[in-house]
Amino acid sequence: MTAYILRRLWQMAPTMLGVILLVFFLFNWVGGDPAYILAGKMSNAAQIANIRTQLGIDQPYYVQLGIFIKQIVTFNFGTSWSTGEAISSIITTRLGPSLTVLVPLTILETLFAIALALGIAFKRGSLTDRSVMVACTVGMSISILVYIIVGQYFFAYKLGLFPVQGWGNSFAENLFKYSALPILIGLAVSVAPSLRLFRTFVLDEVNQDYVRTARAKGVSESRIKWVHVLRNASIPIITHVMSNLPALLVGSFLIERFFSIPGIGREVIAAVDSSDFPLIKAVTVYVAAATMLFNLLADLLYQAVDPRVQLK
Amino acid sequence: MKSQSVIHTFFKKYQRHLSKIALAASLISVSSSQLAVAATNPADPDKVLKWVFNVAETGFDPGAAKDLYSNGVNYVIFETLYSYDYLASPVKLIPRAAESMPEVSADAKTYTIKLKKGIYFTPDDAFNGKRRELTMADYIYTLKRLMDPKLSSPHSWLLSGKIVGLDELAELAKKTNKFNYDTKIAGLELVDKYTLRIHLTRPDFNLGLILAHNPTGAVAREVIEKYQDLQGQVMSHPVGTGPYMVALDEWVRGSKIILLANPDYRGDVWDFKGGASPEDQKIMAAMKGKRMPQIGRIEINVMIEDQSRWLAFQGGEIDIFELEGPLAPQALDSGKLKPALVKKGVQLSRIPDPETSIYYWNMQDPVWGGLSKEKIALRRSVALAHNIQEEIDIVYNGNAVKLDYPIPPGVVGYDANYKNSIQYNVAAANALLDKFGYKKGPDGFRTLPDGKPLEIRYTARSGAVGKLQTEVWKKTYNSIGINMKEDLVQFSEMLKAEKSCQLQTRNSPWIADYPDGDNFMQLYYGPNIGSTNNGCVKLPEYDKLYEESQKLPPGEERDALYHKMARIMEVNTAQMMGFARYRNMLAQARVIGYKKHPIIYGEWMFFDVEKSK
Repeated sequence: MTAYILRRLWQMAPTMLGVILLVFFLFNWVGGDPAYILAGKMSNAAQIANIRTQLGIDQPYYVQLGIFIKQIVTFNFGTSWSTGEAISSIITTRLGPSLTVLVPLTILETLFAIALALGIAFKRGSLTDRSVMVACTVGMSISILVYIIVGQYFFAYKLGLFPVQGWGNSFAENLFKYSALPILIGLAVSVAPSLRLFRTFVLDEVNQDYVRTARAKGVSESRIKWVHVLRNASIPIITHVMSNLPALLVGSFLIERFFSIPGIGREVIAAVDSSDFPLIKAVTVYVAAATMLFNLLADLLYQAVDPRVQLK
Repeated sequence: MKSQSVIHTFFKKYQRHLSKIALAASLISVSSSQLAVAATNPADPDKVLKWVFNVAETGFDPGAAKDLYSNGVNYVIFETLYSYDYLASPVKLIPRAAESMPEVSADAKTYTIKLKKGIYFTPDDAFNGKRRELTMADYIYTLKRLMDPKLSSPHSWLLSGKIVGLDELAELAKKTNKFNYDTKIAGLELVDKYTLRIHLTRPDFNLGLILAHNPTGAVAREVIEKYQDLQGQVMSHPVGTGPYMVALDEWVRGSKIILLANPDYRGDVWDFKGGASPEDQKIMAAMKGKRMPQIGRIEINVMIEDQSRWLAFQGGEIDIFELEGPLAPQALDSGKLKPALVKKGVQLSRIPDPETSIYYWNMQDPVWGGLSKEKIALRRSVALAHNIQEEIDIVYNGNAVKLDYPIPPGVVGYDANYKNSIQYNVAAANALLDKFGYKKGPDGFRTLPDGKPLEIRYTARSGAVGKLQTEVWKKTYNSIGINMKEDLVQFSEMLKAEKSCQLQTRNSPWIADYPDGDNFMQLYYGPNIGSTNNGCVKLPEYDKLYEESQKLPPGEERDALYHKMARIMEVNTAQMMGFARYRNMLAQARVIGYKKHPIIYGEWMFFDVEKSK
């Protein structure tokens, strides 16, 4: 196991190098020159040149690339070019609000989707199954923007059940007061595609011989569903969930913008708008690293849920 | 649902107590040397104002921050020597930290300024527990700092080339990589602790306005040296002498800013004289004689989306909010509040921004530029063909006013009676193009007089507004048979191309840094190409008159020059005046005495609110 993990970690190095090169050249090519924004509206060529020198973007590309790699190795991406705030501070302070919304959302979405998928897959073709599928298709066809705008208008403004927007100073206040509506809206948006996907995973299992055997042995439907079928369907479910987890690091910028949640998603969009490379580079690298690590974790979990899986 | 509402109510209640606790804590936290001094700020901690920013703040260093919202906060933290009368129109300069208006020499090259005594910085560790008085040495440090190459201040232009010896000091710093703040320069003469004499390299009647601009708000050297980052900025530790201070422990960057009344602020008596309008009269009746500031706590939330702000305002979560173009139809009908909002007691303060949106056609571009008759005819025909009112209606929901003069309303030098000689007339535009040989081809598009294809690129910032602008201009160009291609680009790329005269044409907005016509007339001055002269205009006749205008104080003589300069621009149609957007501020019924000021963004020290219930 240890050898496997070490080998996988070692294999990440070339992938990460590829990501670094891609990010570096992509942003230098299409990212715009931030010196023109930072210099202000009354700037001249000398001031812009001075800012370029300070930012180090007047250096040859190989020097800039070397600095970028050093930043990754030392986990020190410097400061934001727009606000002067340390990148590490931006990530640590903005990640909390994003996770406050997205972690409960991911947990609820996964649990709901699994429960519903198990429920309707065992009644395949029934009115309930078809109604849920139609509802999912309709739900998936509507843009998240509609959910947000309508949800904010009716549940927050008209009915007054939640604040329209905002963010407080305590975790409990943020989770139960300010994140409640964003989580509900996020759930409405995300549960449909997961449900449809998980249903297909469960359907692949319900007609297997082991299910028939279990029934013949008199095992209860509930046990067949929640123990036998779920365990076998969990490998693709784990793959799906794990592949979505890195997205938590970039937040949900639309939800964060509309509900004024000071999360990382909103910050990333602002960084792109102002060509704030240090933040963009840091987030991209962290997401790439997280993706690889979660993939590794998924592989390890496969073995945990199914001992037949061998890690080589 | 019930539990949610209970939680909501609990936090609302709790929040009110928090504001009291926070102000009390701020009073207690004053060091022992200050405890002997009674709090002088008349602000009431029970008066809480809920404000909203449309964009996240960048930070609170007056020398480095360049966005409107950060500078709104900076205005109430860092005191400038001068400021503006709250109600006067056109805007009027008044003393702030200065004791009186400056004594200006006859040649407008020497300014002598006296400082009020007994102004103190808010307590900070940088002062080692001592009470720190504001002196003119702080203003000298502040002004020098704007020119420090390490800071790369976006505001260095305010002083560049103006103060005797300052540019030389900055040049030396570039060579030695260290700005020597201890070096005395002839241009900044510290007569005594409370008197500063500024010697200028050339006559300048606008220095008072410069000294009212946020970047010249006094900072303390000890604070800067203790907290500065590698670029010399102190964006997250503001220490000033103004009526408010940032509650740093409650600051959630990009989301929430809490301002508390500075307990040591001296306080002023509200005594402004407005016009005869009912709005001004009502404000004066409500506010005259009050000790200011009145508001004890200001809670600023950052809400980026229009819908969030609009619903939060309607739901009473915010007290004042800026109604931007896309939202205007929700609340306004022909520029007036809708009856439903009037019934709720909502108040509207509406002024045209001190800005102008200019349409330029690059004077150095091979297609547009030049002063030959056919080039002037080409530019003028496009100017004639563009329906500015239609652009205002479509792109800004009617929330702007068409301008005829280069100087917008509310700015010194504005002339409401000036009529631009170029007015919308598509037939005349087509006739002009026909006359000068821009013939239409079989595809319906015109060619240049030499028969070469005439295709132009209209550049706009990528985004919804840019797209709408592009569509409106496409219609204009189609109406005269010119083939226009859209060019939607990132803002930084647009600026880069513009600074090197590589953009053909765009809608270029400019908002006043200081409310004087000079700030607008300099936009077409030849030597400013590469800086602010975005259309790359170089007209010797205009440049000569501009240089003459700089030697004159605001008044009839200068206005006459400005008129001539405006006509020169029209004759050559180097640019065309577009419009100024309205700034609409909606205030809840509990807000007292609020009026949007054309220059000051954070007017919090000039109005009042009812106590929070």
